[in-house]
Amino acid sequence: MKNTKVLRALFASAAIVAVGESALASDWGSYEGITVEAKLIGGQQYEGLYGRIADWEAATGAKVDIISKKSHFEIDKEIKSDMAAGTTKWCVGSNHSSFAPQYEGLYVNLNDHVSKDDVAGFVGGNINASTVGGELLMLPRAQFDVSVLYYLKSNYEDADKAAAFKAEYGYDLAVPDTWDQVKDQAIFFADPPNFYGTQYAGKDEAIVGRFYEMVVAEGGNYLDENNKPIFNSDAGQRALQWFVDLYAAKAVPAGTTSYVWDDLGQGFASGTIALNLDWPGWAGFFNDPESSKAAGNVGVAVQPKGTATRTGWSGHHGFSVTNDCANKDAAVSLVQFLTSEESQLAESAGGSLPTRTSVWEANVAAAKAGDDPFRAESLAAFAEGAKYAFAVPPIPEWGETTNIVFPELQAAIVGDKTVKEALDDAAAEVDELMRESGYY
Amino acid sequence: MDRNQSHRNRKRMLKALHFAALFMTMSIICIPGLWIVLNSFRPTVEIMAKPPVWTPSFTLEHYRAMFGGAGEGGVPVFSYFRNSIIVSVVSTLIAILIGMSGGYAFARYRFKGKAGYFVGLMLFRAVPGVALSLPLFIVFARVGIIDTHLGLILAYVAMNVPFTIWLTDGFFRQIPKELHEAAEIDGCNRWQAFWRVEFPVARSGVASAAIFAFLTSWNEFALASQLTRSVGSKTMPVGLLDFTAEFTINWGGMCALAVLMIVPALILTFLVQKHLIAGLTFGGVKG
Amino acid sequence: MSRRRLPEWFVLLLPAFIVIAAVVLIPLIFSLYSSFTPYKLTRPSTLWKWVGTYNYEKILTDAKFWAAFGRTVLFLTIVLNLELLLGLGIALMVNKVTWGQRSLRTVLMFPMMFSPILVGFQFKFIFNDNIGLVNNVLQSMGFNAALPWLVDGKLAMFSIMFAEIWMSTSVFAILILAGLFAMPRDPLEAAKVDGCTAWQTFRHITLPFLMPFIYIAMTIRSLDVARAYDIVQIMTGGGPARRTELLWTLMSRTGYVDARMGLANAMGYVSILLSILFTVYFFKKLSAARAEIGMAG
Repeated sequence: MKNTKVLRALFASAAIVAVGESALASDWGSYEGITVEAKLIGGQQYEGLYGRIADWEAATGAKVDIISKKSHFEIDKEIKSDMAAGTTKWCVGSNHSSFAPQYEGLYVNLNDHVSKDDVAGFVGGNINASTVGGELLMLPRAQFDVSVLYYLKSNYEDADKAAAFKAEYGYDLAVPDTWDQVKDQAIFFADPPNFYGTQYAGKDEAIVGRFYEMVVAEGGNYLDENNKPIFNSDAGQRALQWFVDLYAAKAVPAGTTSYVWDDLGQGFASGTIALNLDWPGWAGFFNDPESSKAAGNVGVAVQPKGTATRTGWSGHHGFSVTNDCANKDAAVSLVQFLTSEESQLAESAGGSLPTRTSVWEANVAAAKAGDDPFRAESLAAFAEGAKYAFAVPPIPEWGETTNIVFPELQAAIVGDKTVKEALDDAAAEVDELMRESGYY
Repeated sequence: MDRNQSHRNRKRMLKALHFAALFMTMSIICIPGLWIVLNSFRPTVEIMAKPPVWTPSFTLEHYRAMFGGAGEGGVPVFSYFRNSIIVSVVSTLIAILIGMSGGYAFARYRFKGKAGYFVGLMLFRAVPGVALSLPLFIVFARVGIIDTHLGLILAYVAMNVPFTIWLTDGFFRQIPKELHEAAEIDGCNRWQAFWRVEFPVARSGVASAAIFAFLTSWNEFALASQLTRSVGSKTMPVGLLDFTAEFTINWGGMCALAVLMIVPALILTFLVQKHLIAGLTFGGVKG
Repeated sequence: MSRRRLPEWFVLLLPAFIVIAAVVLIPLIFSLYSSFTPYKLTRPSTLWKWVGTYNYEKILTDAKFWAAFGRTVLFLTIVLNLELLLGLGIALMVNKVTWGQRSLRTVLMFPMMFSPILVGFQFKFIFNDNIGLVNNVLQSMGFNAALPWLVDGKLAMFSIMFAEIWMSTSVFAILILAGLFAMPRDPLEAAKVDGCTAWQTFRHITLPFLMPFIYIAMTIRSLDVARAYDIVQIMTGGGPARRTELLWTLMSRTGYVDARMGLANAMGYVSILLSILFTVYFFKKLSAARAEIGMAG
């Protein structure tokens, strides 16, 4: 793991050197003597980018003071506390498309500060997901997340397995393109407790997100246009049934209901999981012999589809500027710099996905021309997968609904409730929340 | 002869049983901690390996990474360590001073509603940190001492004062009033008499109160996570979270930081363990 | 000169009063007030809207809240009792040891030095069903199963209790051990002469003498039962399916993640009441036990 990180950092710094000239050449304005206070998300995969801040400081004469650096959920907690205490004079904050709607009135509408042409350089879907109630609350950085299917190639190179599968299920064994096929194959491959067919996130927002994308893939939705919960529809029940069936068939690890992303990633890297829907940040990790037993045996394909469409729950990170910031121009300049083409090229060189059209194109072209077929394969899968991406409902209550829904989903999965009971109970409670929040 | 033999056998068996039970208990106490230490020296692949690798290999990678730069998984360990030390030591000293004077008041003066004051003070210690963290944050934010050593120190002093009062009160009570009076007759004022006569006797109590206060501050998380933000004030328990990213927990790195966290506590406790036991029992029982 | 008018005891206690008022009392008053409002962190203006006892009505009629409340009481009851029994057992065992007692005592204190959050991470790691120590050992011994320690309702409850007990049994063991050291020899000798069995001696002589020590330990523990929050939050976060949801995890999720601080503070008050009940109960027991063996000051 360490070594991948070091490698990534090397790549990133190489890219920084390459684009350093042009960064300085761009006009970021002059803010001599100004200090911009920033609250940034911490963690290795995000911090590489902050190395570039020195370039911006050199170009503008301003200084950046990182007054807080914490993990995702900690920084969210901190920003909410700030709003409560009124300590919101700092200027730049890390943001996330799923969290952005919660911070009502905290951040400026960047449409008023950034030109239309600049905004047009970003992928349209990402800009939509950054916009709440018509206000552009953040500019996306090169940390776009959508999940594709990682799989162990060896399972599809074994003639005996293929024949046995065909005999049992009546169709050819191939990398699955539908979630029903994933279920069949997962049950077929599973040999608990040594080997499992697949796995899924089992708690918190993670499982609700997975359920949400499955509902959409089955043709339903989570909330209707009035924000009334409708995930207990037939589509919703079909979606949840998929999770329940896999658990009942022991095709997923028994601990899956306690897994979140780290456990899932480590699980697939241990080489004991056949099929794994997962995020782009893992691609390098999975195929690195230092960190993964599955290295060399990992295939990447576009995420499968349900009866209606492909899954594609997505989100991205970005930067926002507060309304209380004393030097909004300097802050906006910093945000633009951190999300610029050069910054995105540098950041996505570490393996994350960009949110600018031109950077996508450059990356895909570079991977094709390069001598790393795995990188080319995974980037192609993500480029295709990104086409189906959709964000969570842009309401402040999203997070709160997930806290209501996930225990009910778990109850159905472990068999405490039937699928219908669980979803009806969850929907009734979300309905009450939405009513209290004044949506209808 | 036969009876003697069986008696001896029984005794031997009991002894073996005693030893086995003791060994089991001690293992359960030690293994989780040793596991942390061991894993801080193992490469990540090995920690994560499935099936498990039982013959451990040795690497300093996690420590090197931790002390390394930001890009290589480095965490500002020195700053966290410094913050933890400053906050714990200063808050312990202040809590001891305030607590000792309070304990002395309870032990040496008669006043109305004494028992009520006493239990009331204790109850403030019982307020759960989670319930306190946000309101405290809002109050501190208004005063402007968020993300400072001062804020944390204040919070920990308040946390530790009641317990210190309890322990020192018990000690001061054991000391006969006559000793103090004798010293005053010898020409000491009250203050001198206190330092010359009462303080030396109560030293174990103060030492154990101090170690408790120190450990509480050193290990506290619920309040610290709310009241600190930047590298300038984050303490080590909060720093542990640096190893949990959105997608991963870096177990090896976290274990390495954990080791750094335990070592000072271990040394300190070891140094004062004799006082600790005496202090706890006399302060509490006789009080 | 005006200082003269304040009694000396009051002056001595003043710093303690001031610091506690500033750090605990004022925030508590604030949170009491906010528990009567629909206060949302992200909407500061909601702090000025009075809703009376709405939040309390809401939680008092909420089955999930009562489930968490009941589970918390159950958790504390089981954990405190087991800690007491285990602590007593360990103390008796160590007391019997003839050599190396000092080192054993040091080892006993080991868990007391661990930060609760660290204990949480440690046991989350050890009980991990995929790479955890416990399952690895079980599998190496031939059990062909990956027990879902942190997932299955009963096992998860067991795991968090195990962690809590691991952390806190030492307090009991050490204090009871100190009690055993302080115990006068004569009554024991007398009992032996009178032909009492080991159990009778223990029941009628040793145990009554140890009671105050046990209650001190109980009191110390009841002062910070809520430390279990750090452990549970890290290990299971109250999940899965709320099977390990305690008052504290429910409260922090409501307050910080859902940002509904008014509601969370109402829960907070119930949890404060619970802590206070535990503390007062053990304080009473402690004074009674002190009086019984004539140690009252």
